[in-house]
Amino acid sequence: MSTIFDNKVENAWCPGCGNFGIQNAMKRAFSELNLEPRNVVLVSGIGQAAKAPHYVNTNVFNGLHGRAVPVAFAIKTVNPALTVIAESGDGCMYGEGGNHLLHNIRRNPDITVMVHNNQVYGLTKGQSSPTSEEGFVTKTQPSGNISRPFNPLSFAISQDASFVARAFSGDIDGLVRLLKEAIRWKGFSLIDILQPCVSFNKVNTYAWYRKRIEYLDEAHDPENRLQAFERSLEWGERILLGIFYRKKRPVYQERVKENLGVEDLLYRGFESENILQGELPRFR
Amino acid sequence: MQKILMKGNDAVAEAAVQAGCNLYFGYPITPQTEISEYLSRRLPDTGGVFLQAESEIGAIYMVYGAAAAGKRVMTSSSGPGFSLKQEGISYLCSAELPCVLVNISRGGPGLGNIQPSQADYFQAVKGGGHGDYRVLVLAPCSVQELVDLTYLAFYLADKYRNPVEILGDGMLGQMMEPVVFRNPDYPDISKEEWVITGKKTRERRIILCFALDPKELEKLNLHLAEKYAEMERSEVLYEVYGSEQPELLLVGYGTVGRILKSVVREAEKQGIRLALVRPVTLYPFPKEILRGQARKAGKALVVEMNLGQMVEDVKLSVEGDVPVYFHGRSGGMIPTVEEIMHRVEEILLKGGEARENNL
Repeated sequence: MSTIFDNKVENAWCPGCGNFGIQNAMKRAFSELNLEPRNVVLVSGIGQAAKAPHYVNTNVFNGLHGRAVPVAFAIKTVNPALTVIAESGDGCMYGEGGNHLLHNIRRNPDITVMVHNNQVYGLTKGQSSPTSEEGFVTKTQPSGNISRPFNPLSFAISQDASFVARAFSGDIDGLVRLLKEAIRWKGFSLIDILQPCVSFNKVNTYAWYRKRIEYLDEAHDPENRLQAFERSLEWGERILLGIFYRKKRPVYQERVKENLGVEDLLYRGFESENILQGELPRFR
Repeated sequence: MQKILMKGNDAVAEAAVQAGCNLYFGYPITPQTEISEYLSRRLPDTGGVFLQAESEIGAIYMVYGAAAAGKRVMTSSSGPGFSLKQEGISYLCSAELPCVLVNISRGGPGLGNIQPSQADYFQAVKGGGHGDYRVLVLAPCSVQELVDLTYLAFYLADKYRNPVEILGDGMLGQMMEPVVFRNPDYPDISKEEWVITGKKTRERRIILCFALDPKELEKLNLHLAEKYAEMERSEVLYEVYGSEQPELLLVGYGTVGRILKSVVREAEKQGIRLALVRPVTLYPFPKEILRGQARKAGKALVVEMNLGQMVEDVKLSVEGDVPVYFHGRSGGMIPTVEEIMHRVEEILLKGGEARENNL
């Protein structure tokens, strides 16, 4: 399916990479939400996942390892009219940038954080990542990873993040649906996307995931934080997908307006774009 | 001694193990990740610890802790990752903790790229972090020198209780060359006086990186200054190559130093007499030999893989006695013998009319 978000930038991912599913789902979700390329900003860090914004026809900030979230936060703060999405891998978001994730959950900016979670470092060719399972053998963990994997969902729910979901890059329809929900959500939305790495992760493969994934059923109440937390702990024979938790919380950008009264300073140039367009002909 | 064909990154790692380093903390980044990979396999055999940290910042403070506990410890990174360690390096200098830091540098600024570059010279020799400090900086030009300077780095770190940086580049890290491991058996330096080991019979040890009282901090800084002065007196290393009566002096370090040797030989074929000074220690900088050689030649050409960094130190060294020209390539571009020859001819033919730099 072609969309206005397609471009012709040469792709550097391995054939079969889970990133392709995420990239396609992203373009579809943007189209179905009727977003315009000029109003979307994709902010990424460093890693294979962080290359994704180059392959999508939107505004792009591809910067430095671990720092996508603070950059996205500030873009949204300066111009709340933009749809701002921070996108990177598990190493970037949960390792190098872990501290930024924590504090932006607290602030609750109206941004979406997409994490391509393949449980390995792909760009540097195969080292363990914060989400690698115990015993996972890599080039720098030759006798197996001895640290516990980071659980992003439990972490985010424990901190009362506004929106927490998990998707699988091998189910594009499901991923499109969840992405649209996450982007539409007013507040900080975290979407952890399970993604096979066909070159450096021979354990968590498409087949491995397909055997385990299952969407949360009707009985799950995403407003119930304790239930969400309990569900988020499950990982193994069954891996759950869907919206684990959501809770409306005041959004940072709105609180700045309300509490600090700085609306005029920060927003005037951008929100009055329509007025400006109306005035311009007078000066032609 | 057995000659082995080895990649630069692997060779640094092996030399570190042989120098008695059995602790390594790092984070993957191209083009130096092989150092981590090698040590992750090798260190467990020595009863040591390899750890891939959550970030470069985590890694440099693990180095701080391990050094305070008295062990030989190393970290390595490249460009952007090495920048993240700068805060820790300032603290290590202040706390006088020995360690070895390897920067297999790449193109900058920002994320730059993963090609070889000498863009990190200023960061290495001028103090990339805050405060008034110096790091001993060693600049190898071959896989053999990477090995030899790694042994030396651990010794100097202990001798001065100061971080020592090995500044290589992506070309040195990635290329394979025959190498011989000859551990020179430098003397052991006792750490009894300051190290934290939990020994029963002595008072508690405190390792600090601050003094809130300005009189105390100045005292600490003057003590550091004495160490730096001693380094400048005792640790300067360089190589001189080429003609005894040069018409022009070439100056370059690391990878460029090697290219300049080819330039000297090529010039000789054409009847042009060139000499080369290749600084091996970038701090302390070989000022005196440079001044002497530059005066002898009457003019100097500095070549670097950056927009002009070490050239400032060469100018300071020659104190305005002779004109100093510059030729630089950046962004991962490597100067060729042909283009440098072209520059040499231009300077020799036009003299005072020649452009100061190629940029």
